[in-house]
Order: sequence, then structure tokens, then C-alpha cells
Amino acid sequence: MGAAGVYSDVWTIATILVGGVATLAIFSFLIKENPFFRFFEHIYIGIAAGLGVVVTLKNFLWPKIFVPLFGLDLVRFPDSTSAGVYNRGFLLYLAPMLFGLLYYFIYSKKYSWLAKLVIGVSLGASGGLAFQGFFNQMLPQLASSFKPLVVYGSEGWNIGRSFSNSFFVFTLICVMYYFFFSFRRKTATLDKISVAGRWLMMVCFGAYFGSTVMARMALLVERLQFLLGDWRQALLLLVLGA
Amino acid sequence: MKQWDLTHIDRRVIYLLVLLALSIPLALEYALKPARMEAAERAFAVVQDLEAKPGELAFMSLDFGPNSLAENKPQAEVVLEHLLRKRIPVALYSQYYLAEPFLESIPKTVVGRLEKEILGHFWEYGRDWVNLGYRPGGSVMLQNIAKSADLAELFKTDARGNNLRELPIFKGVAGLESVKLLAEFTSLVGGLDSFLQFFQKKGYRPFFIHGCTSITIPQAFIYLDSGQLKGLLEGIAGAAWYSLLLERAYPQRRPDAAQIINTGLGVAHMVVIALVLLGNVGFLIRGRN
Repeated sequence: MGAAGVYSDVWTIATILVGGVATLAIFSFLIKENPFFRFFEHIYIGIAAGLGVVVTLKNFLWPKIFVPLFGLDLVRFPDSTSAGVYNRGFLLYLAPMLFGLLYYFIYSKKYSWLAKLVIGVSLGASGGLAFQGFFNQMLPQLASSFKPLVVYGSEGWNIGRSFSNSFFVFTLICVMYYFFFSFRRKTATLDKISVAGRWLMMVCFGAYFGSTVMARMALLVERLQFLLGDWRQALLLLVLGA
Repeated sequence: MKQWDLTHIDRRVIYLLVLLALSIPLALEYALKPARMEAAERAFAVVQDLEAKPGELAFMSLDFGPNSLAENKPQAEVVLEHLLRKRIPVALYSQYYLAEPFLESIPKTVVGRLEKEILGHFWEYGRDWVNLGYRPGGSVMLQNIAKSADLAELFKTDARGNNLRELPIFKGVAGLESVKLLAEFTSLVGGLDSFLQFFQKKGYRPFFIHGCTSITIPQAFIYLDSGQLKGLLEGIAGAAWYSLLLERAYPQRRPDAAQIINTGLGVAHMVVIALVLLGNVGFLIRGRN
């Protein structure tokens, strides 16, 4: 399919072209710091800060909260009657909204205690949620850490699985022991367990670092895909008109 | 600086090498066979064995923004494609506002590709898939979903403003027990945690599969080990292997971008490993001198 077929909309082409220029501007930092990069960096920060507010307002607060609250979805007839009946229950939405607005009293010396009420409720609710969530999330993991060290399958002793489980339990004990700071380690063996815990954690951090590099590459590959695909086609369309 | 000092390679040369390594397979659309990913294979098996009766559906949460598009988008595409091929209705949802455009564009791409491949077959909005849109509230929203006895009543409308009760996909759908599968794709560490904590009710929990970015693989793996996840797509490599499994299951399927991106990343990793080795050789030589 030709580029013209794909991008029939001028607005889409313009968006793609600006997106490509912005990408190149941000990548220009790899050569050195420059005003071109800084200009687009500021634009990006501004958009990132504002977009969340706009999306939440446009796609959630307005259609789901304000429209039913103010009865804007009711069809009105010329004789002032309407197609539906306003549900007064929506007025209850005002209570948490007004309570949340008390947070802005944080700027007042005299009434800042009102903001503390909101903060207190938020902290309490978050604490309660975290408490409940912790058990749902962690208990299965706790249970699964009790693994059989010798595994028998349908074909007899499963050496690979047995080794894997034993290594898992060994790592678990060593790393947990490393974090016992409440008492002194009196023997050389206990010290060695602690050192083994530290080394095993280093292996884990190495895996984390490797996966971080991989993720950064993935960021780059997406932008390259965009530049070599959509942006190149839009550019050709602009320059050659084909 | 010495001209050939391997311990002081100009960082711009490194960037250029990585750039070339990544862009050549992309420009040539060259794909190598991806490595076997056991966790992605388990995710594939979960979807393959999934059966949905009328009034049952799969739930896909796309919680990623443009920053992890390269990894999460191919993952979401292959899983959605698999579900749609099996005619399992899918409800798309997001906890992350930046994911909102993808709730429309990803199904559109997948459906377009499927209809082009299987002539005479159609996938309809409202019957085969629905966009529930971005819903703020995080954990509280997920708790509401879990507690709800009527999901259509809870969500009320889709992202396009349609009443969910009027859409065929929600016919017969009750509460969480109508959701057979949760597929969650995110680069946010807390995104999956919220689902693991709250997307369940007493005596019932849907199958969970997850698509993570490379950076969160070590964190996601512990949930696979504990059985909280039934399958895991590990970065783009997981998506590429899933894509290959789809090709094997549906031979008429045409290859997608996942395998090409995976090839590019593989070549770039080789360049990074080569540079690390070169740097170490440089240190050895300097030490001897």
C-alpha cells in the first residue's frame, strides 16, 4: 500500500512529521547538549504533566461524573419536560469531591488542620488496602518457597528439578541470613553463608542490570521502527508527493 | 587519549554501532528464529486451552505508554490475536492514561490483519471485543471489579459511550466469575501487583498471564514460580516466541514485526557483549604495559 493510501489525513502526516523531528531532537543529546534538544525536552515535560489531567477530565470526570451529576445526559423537550428522570443519588458524588477539596487548605495557616483530615483518610485507606493486598500477593509466594529438595516424577528421580529446588532453597536461606543484623556471627561457617548470600544477590543484580540494558535497547528500537517506517513514508510523501 | 585505547572508546562510536545493529534488521525486515521461551509457551497453552461459554470473556489490561511500546505492544497484539482467532470475547481496559490510544489502535490493527488473512470472516466491535477505556482509581477500581456482581452495571458505558447492556459481548456477563482470563501488559511494577492483590474474590480467581518489559522480568518471574501467573511474555523475546507459536498453530498466518524487532535486539546485544569483551581486553593490555 502506498504512503498516500495510508496517510490520507493531513493532520496525521503532520503529527508523524513532528514526532520524527522531536525524536531526532531528543537523540541529538547523544552527540552533545544543545538548544534543539532542550526545546523539545521542555515541551515533552509540559505535555507529560498536562496530558494526565486532560485525559482524566475528558474521558472520566466529565462523562462519568459531571454529566450524570448535572443531568446533562437527559434529553429536554420544548415544554421543559425531559425524556428521563434525574437521579438525585448522583448528588452524593459531591460529598467526596468537597471533602477532597479540603486538601487545598494546606496553604492556609489557620485552616491547615482541614487538609490533615484528607491526608489522614488517604493514609488510612492506603494502609488498609496495602495490608489486604500484601496477604493476597505474598502468601502464595511464601507457600511456594517450601519446595521439595528431592523430586520424583513419573520417570523416576528428576535431577534437574531437584537441583533447581535445592539451589532455590540454598539461595533463600543465604540471602535471608545476610540480612540478620541483630546478632553477631560467631563462627566462620555462618560468615561464609552470609558472604554466599551477598554473592548470590550480586548475581541477581547482574541479571537486573542486563535486563535494564535490554529494556533501554527496546526503547530505542521502537523509535527506530517509527523513524524507518511511518516517518520515512510521511517524509517521502511530503518531499516527493508520492 | 591514545588513538587505539580500547578502554576509552568514544561513546558516540558505541551509540553508532548499537544504532546500526538495531536498524539494519529493521530496514531489511530480516528475522531470525526466536529462542524458545518456556514461560511464553505456558501463556500460549493457557489461551489455547481456554474455552468461553456465552456470558464469559477475557479481560485485557493494557497498562503501558509510548515508553514501552516496543515490548508491550507486540505482546498485546499476539495475545489479542490468539483470543480473537479462538472467538473468545475480549474486554480491553487500562489503569494508565497513556495507554488510552492503544485500546483502540491495537484491536483495530489485529482485526484488520485477521480479516485480510481469513477472507469472509469478520470481527465486530461490541460482539468480539469492547473498549472499556481508561479508568482511574487503580487498586480501588480493581477491588470494585472483584466485588461487583454485574460488570455491565459497574462500568455502565464503554469508551465510545455505548451502554454496555446493549452490547452483545456483555449479554449474560455477571461478576468476576465471568472473566476467564486476565492478560495484563505493563512496564509499571505496581501495575501487575494491583491485579495480583485485588483481582480475585473468595473462591475464584481468573487465569493470569502477564506481559512485562525486559527490565521487570526478574520481578515478574517470582510470580510465575509461585503459580500466581500461569504464563509470562518476557519482553519482546516472549512476544516473538508467541508469534512463532501462532504461526505454527495457524500456518496461513503471516509473520509480524515481533520477530524482526527481536532479531534487531539480539544483534544489538551481541554488539554490547563484544564491546564489553573489547573493553576488558583493553584493560588486560594496559595492565601488561
